[in-house]
Amino acid sequence: MNATELQHHIQLKAGDVGRYVLLPGDPGRCEPIAQLFDDPVKVASNREYETWTGTLDGEKVSVVSTGIGCPSASIAVEELIKIGADTFIRVGTSGAMQPDSFTGELAVITAAIRDEGTTSHYLPMEFPAVADPQVVFALADAAKTLGHPYRLGVSQSKDSFYGEVEPDRMPMAEQLHRRWDAFVAGGAISSEMEAAAIFVISSIHRVRAGGIMRMWLDGTDDTDPHMEKLLGTAVQALRNLIRDDKAGMSWP
Amino acid sequence: MNVTERQHHIGVARGEVGRYVFLPGDPGRCEPIARLFDDPKLVAKNREYETWTGYLDGEMVSVTSTGIGCPSAAIAMEELVKVGADTFVRVGTSGAMQPDIRVGDLGVIQGAIRDEGTSSHYLPMEFPAVADLELTRALAIGARSTGKTVHIGISQSKDSFYGQHEPGRMPVAARLQERWHAWMAGGAICSEMEAAALYIVAATLRVRAGGIMKIFGHWDQAPMTEEELAQEGLGDLLAAAIAGMREMIAQDRAAVAK
Repeated sequence: MNATELQHHIQLKAGDVGRYVLLPGDPGRCEPIAQLFDDPVKVASNREYETWTGTLDGEKVSVVSTGIGCPSASIAVEELIKIGADTFIRVGTSGAMQPDSFTGELAVITAAIRDEGTTSHYLPMEFPAVADPQVVFALADAAKTLGHPYRLGVSQSKDSFYGEVEPDRMPMAEQLHRRWDAFVAGGAISSEMEAAAIFVISSIHRVRAGGIMRMWLDGTDDTDPHMEKLLGTAVQALRNLIRDDKAGMSWP
Repeated sequence: MNVTERQHHIGVARGEVGRYVFLPGDPGRCEPIARLFDDPKLVAKNREYETWTGYLDGEMVSVTSTGIGCPSAAIAMEELVKVGADTFVRVGTSGAMQPDIRVGDLGVIQGAIRDEGTSSHYLPMEFPAVADLELTRALAIGARSTGKTVHIGISQSKDSFYGQHEPGRMPVAARLQERWHAWMAGGAICSEMEAAALYIVAATLRVRAGGIMKIFGHWDQAPMTEEELAQEGLGDLLAAAIAGMREMIAQDRAAVAK
């Protein structure tokens, strides 16, 4: 497929998006995120893929929803790379996995547990799903600058939401519990559903990806339902990357 | 086992090593690394594990050889953590896995392919073997300070040296070659034999690990030229590793001061 043609699922062509793309799961979050850009314009909406493009510090940036899960996220990233995007930040909510975490704390994802079925269509399971370190530190520096508490760490990317939140009713309950406990023991900080595919596909295409999640600790109240801290941090991280790229800085 | 006792394999007791430890594979590389410390002393020597301790910027640091491969490397890290170490820098040589990576370049290992049998005794294979990124950043800063070309990326941690270097003679040749090509397509930068276990064990013990490698070997297994073989000296690598550890020590001190 030619880059000047509309991509099959996201219904975008070269020029419709910037190099820099934020990737929420929920199409409903695209517009609130785009409102943080200058001159936001809705570019396309097809299936779970909604796209807005605007600018930050004069640089074209976009937000594209991936839908839930690695299968649809992998399609979004593949098609966005075909039309010129090369820097991705996954942004969304996740379950907290460490007992000393708290609702509202931000997780800057360094790597992901490939607890999903999509990435094994790309690379054997031994290959690590890692974020780009420059994107990781752009996010960490943004959180630090804005004064939002955050931690760096590994995320579990799972294929089954209800397998995580209601494991006991699954025929595989015992295995789900055992693996969850192992991931916690390994230090995983957050549980979400798309990072592993975004990271592995980005490695293969030699593009940059990272992720920032707002954590929610089971049984606690939501303190920032509009996620201003999360979205503000993601946008500030894009500004950091745009600044460093313009300066031609090689990391670190 | 009591921490005041000597550890079973490495023969080291608490107080004999610093928080910060360099991990070469080869025991023969311990002394040359220790010579870059202030006041280096040989602490213990047992099997493939040799340990020296000295100081960098007034901080106690050590070097312990791991031997070749993840099984012996995991033992070294487990026992070093028991006696108080918490920051580990793997240092060694590795083969290039991309055409644009040259003999003599430096590689900073951000994550490792778990192409080995040890780390699955700790965590399911889906779990990524990832370096501590603050330490990775410090090592990248150290590497850049040498003026060498620096690559930051993923290494293949394999269990079989000859399976990589002479895959054609292995009964599972087709699988070895197919997987090697997949790792390259995924962007792996170099091939070595210990990082995956060190990173996974470190994750489970909540300690920090990173790795810095000198590229010594071509991505296509082409023999090295005389000129390339003459670059065997590890001066650049060790200078980079020491500079990276100093950077980490400085960052830790700044964090405490805050």
